[in-house]
Amino acid sequence: MSDSILIIGGGIAGINAALNAADYGCHVYLMDDTPSIGGMMARLDKTFPTNDCSICIEAPKMYEVDNHPNIEILTNTELRKVKKTDQGFNVKLVQKARFIDPEKCTGCGACIEACPVSIPDEMDGKIGGTRKLVYLPFPQAIPNIVAIDPDCRYGNMREQGACVGGCVVDCSQCRECPIALCVKACIEEGKDAVRLWQSNKNLKLNVRAIIVAAGLMSYEPEPGMFGYGDCQNVITNLEFERLMNAGGPTNGEIIRPSDQRHVKRIAWVQCVGRGNKEGLLPYCSKVCCMIAAKQMIISKEHDPSVETLIFYNNLKAYGKDFWAFHQKAKSLGVRYINTRPWDVFEDPETRNLKIPYVNPETGQYVEEEVDLVVLSTGLIPSDRNPRLAKSLAIEQDHLGFFKEQDPLLAPLESGVDGVYFCGGSLGPLDISESVAQAAAASMKAVLRMKDGS
Amino acid sequence: MNDEAIRVGVFVCNCGSNIAGVVNVPEVTEYAGTLPDVALADEGRWSCSSDYIEKMKELIHEHALNRVVIASCTPRTHEPLFKRAVREAGLNPYLLEFVSIREQVSWVHMNQPEIATQKAKDLIKMGVAKARLLEEGEEIRLPVHTECLVLGGGMAGMTTALHVADQGFHVIIVEREARLGGLLNRISGIRTDQRPYDPQELVKAKADAVDAHPCISVYTHTQLQAVEGYIGNFKVTLLANGDEQTVNVSTVIVATGMRERAPIGIYEEIDDPRVITQLALEERLLQQDLGEVQDVVFINCVGSRNASRGCCNIGCGIAVKNALAVKTLNPEATVTVLHRDLSLVKEEKKDLKAAMDQEIRFLRFSEDRYPVITRADGGLEVSTRDIILDRDFEIHPDLIVLTTGFEGDKSVEQTKGLLKLSANQDGFFQEAHVKLGPLDFASDGIHLCGCARSPKSLRETLDEATGAAMRASIPMKKGYVEAEGIVADIDLTDCKRCGLCAKMCPYNAIELDDEKAPQVIKALCKGCGLCAADCPTESITIVHYSDPQIFAQIEAALEENPEQKIVAFVCHWCALGGVDMAGVSRLQYPANARLIRVMCSARVSIKMIQHAFELGAAGVLVAGCEFPTCHYIEGNYAAEKRLKRTRKRLAKAGYDPDRLWNVWCSAADGPKFARTMRDMVKNLELDRESF
Repeated sequence: MSDSILIIGGGIAGINAALNAADYGCHVYLMDDTPSIGGMMARLDKTFPTNDCSICIEAPKMYEVDNHPNIEILTNTELRKVKKTDQGFNVKLVQKARFIDPEKCTGCGACIEACPVSIPDEMDGKIGGTRKLVYLPFPQAIPNIVAIDPDCRYGNMREQGACVGGCVVDCSQCRECPIALCVKACIEEGKDAVRLWQSNKNLKLNVRAIIVAAGLMSYEPEPGMFGYGDCQNVITNLEFERLMNAGGPTNGEIIRPSDQRHVKRIAWVQCVGRGNKEGLLPYCSKVCCMIAAKQMIISKEHDPSVETLIFYNNLKAYGKDFWAFHQKAKSLGVRYINTRPWDVFEDPETRNLKIPYVNPETGQYVEEEVDLVVLSTGLIPSDRNPRLAKSLAIEQDHLGFFKEQDPLLAPLESGVDGVYFCGGSLGPLDISESVAQAAAASMKAVLRMKDGS
Repeated sequence: MNDEAIRVGVFVCNCGSNIAGVVNVPEVTEYAGTLPDVALADEGRWSCSSDYIEKMKELIHEHALNRVVIASCTPRTHEPLFKRAVREAGLNPYLLEFVSIREQVSWVHMNQPEIATQKAKDLIKMGVAKARLLEEGEEIRLPVHTECLVLGGGMAGMTTALHVADQGFHVIIVEREARLGGLLNRISGIRTDQRPYDPQELVKAKADAVDAHPCISVYTHTQLQAVEGYIGNFKVTLLANGDEQTVNVSTVIVATGMRERAPIGIYEEIDDPRVITQLALEERLLQQDLGEVQDVVFINCVGSRNASRGCCNIGCGIAVKNALAVKTLNPEATVTVLHRDLSLVKEEKKDLKAAMDQEIRFLRFSEDRYPVITRADGGLEVSTRDIILDRDFEIHPDLIVLTTGFEGDKSVEQTKGLLKLSANQDGFFQEAHVKLGPLDFASDGIHLCGCARSPKSLRETLDEATGAAMRASIPMKKGYVEAEGIVADIDLTDCKRCGLCAKMCPYNAIELDDEKAPQVIKALCKGCGLCAADCPTESITIVHYSDPQIFAQIEAALEENPEQKIVAFVCHWCALGGVDMAGVSRLQYPANARLIRVMCSARVSIKMIQHAFELGAAGVLVAGCEFPTCHYIEGNYAAEKRLKRTRKRLAKAGYDPDRLWNVWCSAADGPKFARTMRDMVKNLELDRESF
């Protein structure tokens, strides 16, 4: 449809942009390159500064998107080519095979149970999360349809015990699969939704405007940075978030990776990855101080006897009610230590972690011993950005975020007329800022429809 | 339809082996067929498949069904699908009742097929009992026209107005001052990561665009005097130079901005022209006149980041920017910034580097030891201790600039009263939801943007202003607002005109007329049921969740073996999400509970709970969203309060109040719901096997 908007990215920014534009009356394609919409927010435990349960407030929006007559969801889909026209854009997309007939799959999970191979989950692997080769990304996934790992389909998981891949018969010629257990399980359920012979699908759209809501990624600490990678009990703040989550790999038990023991002392190290050297982040990610405050408060809610301490630099509490939230963490007994620790060392016997630092008040060298260290890593540009920049002919800034035409005279507008930004595309921000930007970007996009619709 | 005989169709899904693997579906279907008024019971292999949906529609016609019960997965994901099917079959979609026998039965009682089958039968019996009493509902529309009132003519107000007006909608900007531009009129300079800007040029360009726009009317020197009505129908009285004027608008955007605060608590008593605030400095910078000033000290976080006030959000950036501006104007001057944490964002880091290059000194003081200002021999002295160098400093400045933070505009008290909004202690308006509804108020048709919400940079203000324009434009473009048919309905026969319902409604959806009789503005009602549950004369009902319907469910649930059963009232949004999560995760728990879905835990009245105990229920559970989340703002808080009263009432009536439980459960927390079930069964000493 030519009076349509394409939204790239199905996180909370893309979801909000889509709902606004669709409620306004526009037809919206909401595209995401993963098997479900929901983005980062769907995986978070709580949101600061209110400690609302993240999926509780996001899932209703996801269902709304799913049921909206004006929104078409395109998951597992990537942008290929974009051509500017007088009226807007000709867009070529490729919808990667999920090897499932979306019309037939009901997300019942029979295939998942039948699948013999578990592999580390993309998000929770480091803290013990696993998924099958056929999987639902998370329980509230939209669409509620499983996906099959392409590595399985193409025979790369044989050594791990996968059933598929050894067959020499072309799947499209043989519909009675005696090998693939997922196929069998699905047929037994009376569905026959598994389509191992499914191939990638090319899609062509004409749209009037494009909103880039490609989101942010969490910075991955270099191996050895504060013990990360070397010590099992050093994890990132995103991994800790999953640990707290009742829907996460530990059912919300805050236990440490080395021995699955409940932790009693946890230390947070802020600004991990900050710095001016190559490969480090020369900017403040704004939200990590509040994420840490939230994680400390929740840890204390899980177990009031847990000791929490935090090594911080400049405490950022920039948003509405953020300071009060920080005060709440303090009142619960969180120890704020204003310094950067030297390093993190592991006790080889106990797997506990020792953190040497100079006490900022006394100038003396001290050491803290804790069960678990959480590294508050910053937010970085999505690794999708370079490809999107190329396809859309839009600019990135020196950090890898997208560049606006002018932050005050043409905010959220790219150099290409009709391409707008919102959410993490432009830099680190919190959910409420994403939501506000999403509304703004959708406003700009629908104004382009004015004459045509 | 009222005279027509009730003909209920029950469609029992076996979900492949997902339900049928545990529950004896043929037996359940046969049982359903024996229930009163059931004209048809059919087993569906995959009820949600398009084949079966078609079959369902045919069966509805063939058997002249006028009520439908679907027993399958969960309403949270599949109700819209079946509602559509029912509508396509020519029935009113509110004549559908959804029973969950997968998430609530087969997935959570996998090892107890007989008990699971019995529970499925009970749930279907409850569903049929309610379905027999279902009435048609309708989506309610309220017309919305295209006039929008913008309060405040600063950058936020002008930006939002321009976006609304660009759609051809008519906008009225109300500005108290003589000219547009607001706070930015008094600012000397502004920069982003790309370049510096002249604020006066920004204001002028925007104001010119506003003036030239054919769809915008600007009322300067004007204030809000009175407001009546609601979305689509606001009658607003404006006061300009003593003259009153009334306008009718459909939507309102609040963009009243903020003002700088005077020093509070600290430096409050200093009355010296050489000790000024950032805004006073801005005005001198604007005039490019600092005089002979040679030594300037900035003190940050004055009255901020303490027990009573938060971070002002933008003060650090302002201090660095203005320190640089002082240095530019008086290059020989010594400039020192005394700060606590330096809270700077991306672009402001560049300013910090430039400031350091220009030898502006940054000294960090401790939050419990603010710099001391003294005046001796006509001069100023500032003494402070830098906590990084661990050294004392004494400075003798000829100008001290205090970064004092902000508070809402002085009109906030009046505006919030007139529009029935709330604001925090600093005078910043309270949005509908801090994360997902930042530009909305709880009341439809009123929106918020810019510094009226909280202090923020111009950049963020522009995003919010543009976004608020979108939020306000959606109903204006559609021409209506629509509410689901689940709404409150008031019968005035017994109403005592106490006004409690109007007072409690979180959405201002109940109005009192001149005789104090409450009227529901149905398009604004979200159907939470808070008013119905608390109405002292039981004059309010909720369509689709009426008292008789819920009582019928309670009675059906407790018809057999009530002494082993728990009646669980579960809110649709989070608690049912937790129930579903327990199901998806296959968490096994005892099967004693019979769930009754309500939209909000606030719908559950004392009478409902007491009725369950009167019928011999072993226990009652009220499950709502985990605090502070609530889909209806604070329904769970109201429910919690009411539960306290309920326990007292139960004790008086001779029931053990400890048999009434509650759980506040997030949609992610399946384990919590399963645990509650186990705990209840254990505590109430119920039999897990023999009913």
